[in-house]
Parts: sequence; structure tokens; C-alpha cells
Amino acid sequence: MSNTFKSDPIEFKPTAALPAPKSTVGPIAWVRENLFPSISNTLITLFIVFILISLIPGVIDWMFISANWSGTNQEACVSDGACWVFVKAWSQQFFYGSYPTDQLWRVNLSLILLFAVIILSFTLPASFRLRVSIPLFLVLPFVCIAILDGRLVGLDFVNTDLWGGFSLNVLMAAAAIIVAFPFSFLWALGRRSNMPLARSISVIFIEFFRGVPVLALFFMGSVMLPLFFAEGTQVDKLVRVWIVLIFFMSGYMAEVFRGGFQAIPSGQYEAADSVGLSYWQKTLLIILPQVIKVSMPNILATFVMLFKNTVFLLIIGIPEVLQLLLTALSNSNWLGGHAVEGYVFVGVIFWVCCFSMSLLSNKIERDLDTDKRD
Amino acid sequence: MTNVEQQQTADDIIIIKDLNKWYGDFHVLKDINLNVKKSERIVICGPSGSGKSTMIRCINRLEEFQRGSLIVDGVEMVEDVKNIEAIRREVGMVFQHFNLFPHLTILENLTLGQIWVQKKPKAEAEAVAMKYLERVKIPDQAKKYPGQLSGGQQQRVAIARSLCMAPKVMLFDEPTSALDPEMIKEVLDVMVELADEEGMTMLCVTHEMGFAKKVADRVIFMDAGEIVEENTPHEFFDNPQVDRTQKFLEQILDH
Repeated sequence: MSNTFKSDPIEFKPTAALPAPKSTVGPIAWVRENLFPSISNTLITLFIVFILISLIPGVIDWMFISANWSGTNQEACVSDGACWVFVKAWSQQFFYGSYPTDQLWRVNLSLILLFAVIILSFTLPASFRLRVSIPLFLVLPFVCIAILDGRLVGLDFVNTDLWGGFSLNVLMAAAAIIVAFPFSFLWALGRRSNMPLARSISVIFIEFFRGVPVLALFFMGSVMLPLFFAEGTQVDKLVRVWIVLIFFMSGYMAEVFRGGFQAIPSGQYEAADSVGLSYWQKTLLIILPQVIKVSMPNILATFVMLFKNTVFLLIIGIPEVLQLLLTALSNSNWLGGHAVEGYVFVGVIFWVCCFSMSLLSNKIERDLDTDKRD
Repeated sequence: MTNVEQQQTADDIIIIKDLNKWYGDFHVLKDINLNVKKSERIVICGPSGSGKSTMIRCINRLEEFQRGSLIVDGVEMVEDVKNIEAIRREVGMVFQHFNLFPHLTILENLTLGQIWVQKKPKAEAEAVAMKYLERVKIPDQAKKYPGQLSGGQQQRVAIARSLCMAPKVMLFDEPTSALDPEMIKEVLDVMVELADEEGMTMLCVTHEMGFAKKVADRVIFMDAGEIVEENTPHEFFDNPQVDRTQKFLEQILDH
């Protein structure tokens, strides 16, 4: 073959076929591409595999194989594995605190209502979804309080001292975020406002609740807040903590919303203006739905943070799940050192809840994503 | 400098007098005077940064001005929210980037203003919306979301959205600048139809000179915040009076 061009017709000669490319699909190709692409990566992979192999069997053995499942007291825990009997024996306490055993259905009912409203807000037809689910969400905390307290709905009165356990963590977090939602929206609007008074009040509020550690806020709620109430008025400790959580949450969410507002192109405001919408119509009909859409991942992150922060309530003696775990660990019948089981248990139930919320938020984001819908 | 006689008559739907606007120290609009008659079609052109968009955005107060006066359909543009809302009811606007509401369907985009501003019942608003969607030839897209439509379709929806509010004046702010070439025509066709059949008062910022020749009663050329020249399209294109106009026309027509 010559490299120079000749004037006579060029004979057609196919170039030799290339060798087939290495397989780029399938599990083997995936492993080769992602785990063993180079010598250094291969070494890292082998090192990680070694660590996993040396750890996982021990953990599985402790958690499941040699674990003690049956029995009612400490003496049932004879093998070296985890003593799940401890968790089992205390499970009612962990979930419901000291709420009277024959009244537990009221706690369950509250939780069911919460989940029902959440599920409803996804399954209703889009045309009236917001009009139904927003009012439902807003009355929900107060309905739950009425059910748990009992006096308003003609049930036996259960003092808030007896409320507790993981159900309290869940309900507290939910009640706080629901009420915080409209507030945080107002703070965010205030911070963007042209009115100096509204803006400075919002900035001071937001920065105070974002800047002060949540533990300090809880102490303020339980110790300082009563000083501001009128002489002789008794405000329940749980209500005070609820108020603190609402303020704390709304401070954080206001910033989340502000970020969302800034992500909305100015053309949306202009279009809404030119159609003739008033300020509130523009804000609620055009801007807010888009703000919620872009802020969804951050709203959820903030909520997960608040939910996990509810364990700090143990500092001021609210019997939430971690506080009850500490009580159980120091119980004279269970002094066998069950701390690991207890913390693993609490860790797992929090993780399950938070992970479910992540999945939920992914679904919301997909639902709201009208750009790619077909 | 102006060949068209300017005098205030009862026919004038927009009266702009000595309008001045600054962005900080930058003088964007300098002593703008412009009267627009009912059903008049005006095309505004000029180099970028000449203040043409800013001027028409002053008409429905997307921009504030610092000096001068502006009267739309007998209502003076002042700080009062009532006046601003009254003027916005009479003035529709179409934007360069369409600015449809992405979280609402096409139909909801069109009915929103009717239901919330004009307080029409939903069924009536939807009937009006469908009428205008047919006018812009996309009634079959009513249930879709803006993100699923092409640029040209979105801009036609935006025009229909404005028309649904039954405005007396339509402002077009470079309605075809963000469109792919093959979609420009479908939008211009709708605008030509609107001018011919509805007798709508139109102010259009555009560089589509073909559209200007075909539709405009008057062409206004702006540069550096001033109205440099205004004339009938015929005179404007064939016999420009001012150097700056000639240069501008050479630049945009020379290829």
C-alpha cells in the first residue's frame, strides 16, 4: 500500500476489522471498570474487602445468630450475642413512654392519622390535592393533642408527664414542622421585603434561632420562657418545648425558603405582575409552589435534622426515647450492660424513619418535576 | 426630528411625556415623548442597550421611572397600587423568554388571571382560554405543561395568556429573539393576525424588519436612551433621516 495518491481508480480495500471492544455491560464488566481499573484502585478494593470480611461475620453473629430473642428478663440472656430481650421487655416504654397501657390506642390513632394525612396528600387527584391536604395538615397537630390529652374529646385525661417514647419524638417533630411551615414562609418573605421594619424583625429572628444551639434553646424554653408568661399562668412544659421547636425549625426553614425564592427567575414575578395578580396572589399561586419544588431536598434535610434533634429533649427531662433508654439501662434488674443493644435499636428506628423520608422526598421531587413529564 | 405630527387627541391610549429613568447614575431613558393611538401598531428597534425594552416595561410598571408622566387609557401611572393594577388590567405583555408558569398546565396558565383577577367562574375562563388557544392554533396542548412545548408553541401560549385578559394594549418585548429560526414565523404569523383582525394596539420591540414593514403604522428607532427617529415603515427603511438610523439599518439589513 502506498501513501501517495494516484490518479488511477483506487481499489477498495476494507481495513481490517477492529477487535471487539471489552464488554461494557453486565456485572463482570462493572466490577472490572469500577473496582479494579488500576493497580492502586485494586489495592484499595482488596483492603476494603478485607476489612468487610473481618467485620461483617462478627456483627451478624452478634446481632442475629448468637443473639438472645426469647425470654422476659435478664437471666434469659445466656449466650454472647446481643440481648434483644432487653429491648423487647422495654419496648412499650421505648415507644409510648408511661402512657397508660389501656389508652395506647390513642397514641396509635394519632400516628395513624399522621400517616393517613401524609399518604392522602400523595394519592389525592392533583386538582384538589392542595386544597384538601393543607388544611388537614394544619389541623392535624391540634387533633393529635386533643386525642392524647383527652379532655376536649371526652376521654380520660392523660397528663403530658406520661407522654413519651419514640411516638413522642415522631409526633413532636411532625407537629413542630407543620406549624413552622407557614411561619418560616413569612420570615423568608419578611427577609426579602422592602419594608425595613419587616426585614429587620425577620433577620433578627432567623439569625437568633439559627445562631443559638438547640440545647441552649431547650433550656431557655424550659427555664426562661415561663418568666415571660403572666403571673400564675402555667404553660405545660411540652407546649413550651413545642414552641421552641417551632421557632427553631422556622428559623432554619426560612433560610431554605429564601434560597428557593432566589432560584425563581425574575421573569416569573414579571409575568405574574403583567397578568395583574396582586402581591399575595403572585406569592401564593406562582412563587410558593415553585419555591417548594426547588427547596424540597433542603426542606427534608432540615426536617430530618429536627427529628433527630428531638432526642436532645432528654436534657430537660422530657421522656423521649433516648431518655427512656437511659432509664432502662440504669434499672437495677437490667444492669448487665445492654447499652450497645439499646443504642443500636434507637439508631435503627431513627435510620428507618429518616431513610423512608428520603424516599418520600425523592417521590415528591419526581411528582413536582413538570419539566420532564410526558 | 420627528416626521409624524405629535399632538394629544382623545384617541391616544398611551401618552408618555418627558419620561426619564436612571439606573443609579446611568441615564437609561432621556426625555421620552410618545403618544400611541388606539389600534396603532408601533415597532420599536435600536441597538441593544438603547433603552427600548426599558421603555415598554415602564408602561406596565415592570420598571419605575423617576421623572415625567405616563398615562394609559386615562389612568395616570403613579405610586398608588390601585392605578398600577388598573393599568396592568389594560396592558398585556409578551416576554422574550415566554415566562409561562412551569408548575401549571397550559390551560391553567391561561385561566389563572381570569379566575383570580377578573373573578370569572372556572368554566367561563376555560372557554375563553380554549378560544384563544385555538386562535394561536394549539388547542391540543391544553393539558400539557410548558416544559413539554417547543419555544414557538410556548410563545404562542404566552400571547394567548395575555389575550385572555382582554387587554387594550399589547406589549411585545423581543418576542422572537429567544426562538430558533424555524419557529419565528409561527409566532410572527399569530402577531400579524392579531394586528389585522383584532385591531389591537401593539407596541413591539423587535428586530424583525419584515414584520415591521408588513404590520407597523410607525417605526421608532431608539439609541442611547433617546427616540432618535420615528416614521412610517416605508419612509423609515427607504429614506432614513438620521445617520445613526442609517448605520443601524445597514448593520441589520446587510446580509
